[in-house]
Amino acid sequence: MSTPDDTDDGDEPERLDGGVVDLQDPDESLDLGTSLSDRENITTDQEKYDARKIVTGEARYTADYRDRFPELAEARIVRSDIPHGRVIDIDTSGAEEMDGVHAVITPWDDVVPDTLYSPSGQSYPEPSPWDTRVLREHVRFVGDPIAAVAAEDRDTADRAARKLAVEYEEYDAVFDIWEATRPDAPRLFDDSEVENETTGADYERNLESHFEGELGNPERVFEATGDEQILETEWETPYQSHCVPEPHTSIVYTDEDDRYTVITATQVPYHTRRQLSHVFDVPIRDVRVVKPRVGAGFGSKQEMVIEPIALALHRKAGLPVKLECTRQEEFYAIRNRHPMALQFKTAVDEDGNPRAMDLYVRENSGAYGTHGMTVASNVGTKAMPLYPRVPHMRFAGDVVHTNLPMGAAQRGYGAPQGMFVVEAHLDELARRLGEDPVEYRKRHAVREGDTDRAAAILKDGDRFERTIRSCGIRECIERGADAIGYDDIDQPGAEHLHRGVGMALCAQGSGVAGKELGAAQLKMNEDGSFILQVGGVDVGSGNDTMFTQIAAETLGCEPDDIVVKSSDTDIAPFDYGAYASSTTYISGRAVQKAAADARERLLEWGGRLLEEPAENLATGGGEVYSEETGASVTLEEIGYESIYGDEDREHIMGQGHHATDESPPPFGAQFLTAVVDEETGEYEIEEMVFAADCGVAINPPLVEGQIEGGVHMSYEFATSGTLSFDGEGNPETLGFRQYGMPRPDEQPPIESIIVETHEPTGPFGAKSIGELPTNGVPPALSNAIRDAVGVRLTSLPIEAEDVKAALDEQPD
Amino acid sequence: MAEKDITLTVNGTDHELRVESRKLLVHAIREDLDLTGTHIGCDTGNCGACTVYKDGEAVKSCLLFAVQADGSEITTVEGMEDQPEAGMGNSDLHPIQEGFHEMHGLQCGYCTPGMIMAGKALLEENDDPTEHEIRENISGNLCRCTGYQNIVKSIEYAADVLNDREPPESPVEHEGASMETAPDGGVETDGGCTGPDLTREYPGGDQE
Repeated sequence: MSTPDDTDDGDEPERLDGGVVDLQDPDESLDLGTSLSDRENITTDQEKYDARKIVTGEARYTADYRDRFPELAEARIVRSDIPHGRVIDIDTSGAEEMDGVHAVITPWDDVVPDTLYSPSGQSYPEPSPWDTRVLREHVRFVGDPIAAVAAEDRDTADRAARKLAVEYEEYDAVFDIWEATRPDAPRLFDDSEVENETTGADYERNLESHFEGELGNPERVFEATGDEQILETEWETPYQSHCVPEPHTSIVYTDEDDRYTVITATQVPYHTRRQLSHVFDVPIRDVRVVKPRVGAGFGSKQEMVIEPIALALHRKAGLPVKLECTRQEEFYAIRNRHPMALQFKTAVDEDGNPRAMDLYVRENSGAYGTHGMTVASNVGTKAMPLYPRVPHMRFAGDVVHTNLPMGAAQRGYGAPQGMFVVEAHLDELARRLGEDPVEYRKRHAVREGDTDRAAAILKDGDRFERTIRSCGIRECIERGADAIGYDDIDQPGAEHLHRGVGMALCAQGSGVAGKELGAAQLKMNEDGSFILQVGGVDVGSGNDTMFTQIAAETLGCEPDDIVVKSSDTDIAPFDYGAYASSTTYISGRAVQKAAADARERLLEWGGRLLEEPAENLATGGGEVYSEETGASVTLEEIGYESIYGDEDREHIMGQGHHATDESPPPFGAQFLTAVVDEETGEYEIEEMVFAADCGVAINPPLVEGQIEGGVHMSYEFATSGTLSFDGEGNPETLGFRQYGMPRPDEQPPIESIIVETHEPTGPFGAKSIGELPTNGVPPALSNAIRDAVGVRLTSLPIEAEDVKAALDEQPD
Repeated sequence: MAEKDITLTVNGTDHELRVESRKLLVHAIREDLDLTGTHIGCDTGNCGACTVYKDGEAVKSCLLFAVQADGSEITTVEGMEDQPEAGMGNSDLHPIQEGFHEMHGLQCGYCTPGMIMAGKALLEENDDPTEHEIRENISGNLCRCTGYQNIVKSIEYAADVLNDREPPESPVEHEGASMETAPDGGVETDGGCTGPDLTREYPGGDQE
């Protein structure tokens, strides 16, 4: 068979190194103070910055700030109970007459702006459409916020909310992503109801976005390839709830300078500040957003969800307002992982090498477009870079509105769906070619030195093509295979039970390429310690700890010498926020640069005190010392001298910011074994291993924590997590009781393996880890079941009845 | 709404409270007593973030009215450092708190107080549980961050301390690590996480 392009991707693909591809950091060289061989605070088990206050109960989350406000109003949101229609009237009189009710707001209230905005916590202007209002007159799903009340206590607010009498004009609704784009489908958005439309929008067809991109000439390859060398598959993935431990919570008040202050459980304080300013038409300088400890986010808090409602209530009530979502709201009314239908097609040459890939995704965006197009586009741009040497690729998507809950950012951000399809499909392909599915993917997977164009397949020009400067994917495969015993899988004794093993490769990014900014500032105290002001957002994963390690390593002191003040928009420098696996790579690098800046001043002052030129000096062990003479001066001595000295005085500070087009992918390999009962279709996952290449692991236990938590969410996505609705769009999953979040006795054990590589563009060689491990269990499980009993499961979650049905369809 | 006077002994201190009859125990603890270490994650008894130790057992304080707890003795996470076992390990903390601290048994920390109280109830009954018994006993408490992996290890750590055994130092396995350069340039080791390759020239030289 001949194909239009004959690049070599046989058994031993050529490495594009040796001057062809420069693996160095293209960033300006920095004197960052320490060589890698000296690292004392990197790759260390540094105590988590907030561990002690968490175990003593002293850590304060948003709701815990209530004690600051003697007159705090409690709030409740009233939500649509129809899937589609218009709110004609809301009778508020019953609620307003109640004792203790401070405010009732509806879409028509003066304090409620009718500005269109995107609630997505993304950079400006958001790549998501502005299709949302604070309260909705036109309701598009069961759960749309239409009114809210604030009262002297929770009980009164609840009772007042129930007294609102809502009158609707009902419209037809659509719940299916294929029906929604037909000409006769009910339309969710009029032209006047959306601004800042995204690529390929066609609201007459409920199409929020259509996109497509191509590398090489896939169409010609598919035409020129025989049917037997083409494999086409179809896949489906469901809603998944974030199950954030701490429900969305905000407290809003006006400070003594007449500025709005929002204490809120958020991943994106700066984006929220900008969006509140936009929605309420107040200057950015008059809004302060403060992030306290946050009970995790997983993407659901990369979003301005309830802050505007709390602010509107505060304006009307004239009192501080606290708004806490209920768990029920979290399940049916807040945010979820987008459901998707996917199609994938590959062509191989006569030797079985992949020549062309064609991926199509149809995403259910639900009622609003937050993160709709961007999540769908990441399905391909995260998964296809696993195989960047496949010369011909096509990726297209349609993002469709239905009258169901909104999708949004969720850990993985499209990658879990993409990896499910690509990694299960290639496993199937390898098996049909008679190849070992792990060896096949190991041979074709990304290598250090590759030029990855797939990540930029939807972009014009070559700005976002990337050089893979670090890649430990083969070592991940080898060590994962060893750990699971890939070459030596025993079969269970009983004849109806079959054990299978499955593997899936994973990739992610480290920040959004070309759309990130992190900044940090260090201020020295007299005693040689430092205050680190940093915009980077710690929502539980340990970023504050990582920042102290990076700063200490650069400054030559201990992590305990760094006091972190993060994520308060009045205090900390700017940061885009905690999303896209950006915090270590972007914000951490900003901290490294700030510390390098401060270190220069330490060397200057050390030079004065030691009477030696600064270039002879180094920092370490809490001192500035001379590499020539061994003489030293402590940071404390410098601290006092620089502030109180007789001759000259200076407050030693350092500033740094980081912005880049780079987004180096971390890589991983998910292995698992499953035993399948061929009679019932029941299966049990016995063992899960995830090997991760996140560059240099700055804090290995925290990295392992990310792996274990990510695999937990991935396990749920594969086996049990989904939302269900009746035929009228009414939610049936209203709490943990109906939702399948794995409990401690249901979660199979997880083994984490850290494969160290060095990413030259990252802080001390680090890439990201937060999202990567969320991607692997669905394809690994589908592959293990295929290995065990020969059937291919293509729809999540995989339940026993699905396996049984597939077995029943299997020809004898 | 009807109000009632009740007495709660919380962390060893008697409190006389006047509460509305429908006030949940968790709200009395958080709002009347300002003990905000006890969290609310679902208010339907499913997540366990509000778990406290009451009269010898772990209870979900969102499932009880405060008046139902009248006369009872309650321990919250804030009272753990005053328990007789506190200080048995390497710090002033209770061994379970120390376990979560040392074994990285926490990330966002929202579920941690509830897990600690569930762990206390378990260890009071069985001070040397198996991993299976730990998982069964804390199965009413949900954690989204950790995959439960280090939560189990944290409770095992506490059991080690309570039984005068040497607890493990850290969740990271360092033993037997051999250092070889892997095909992709990383460092190949035998197990656990890896240390740096001290001799290696990284791309970009020593500028980085």
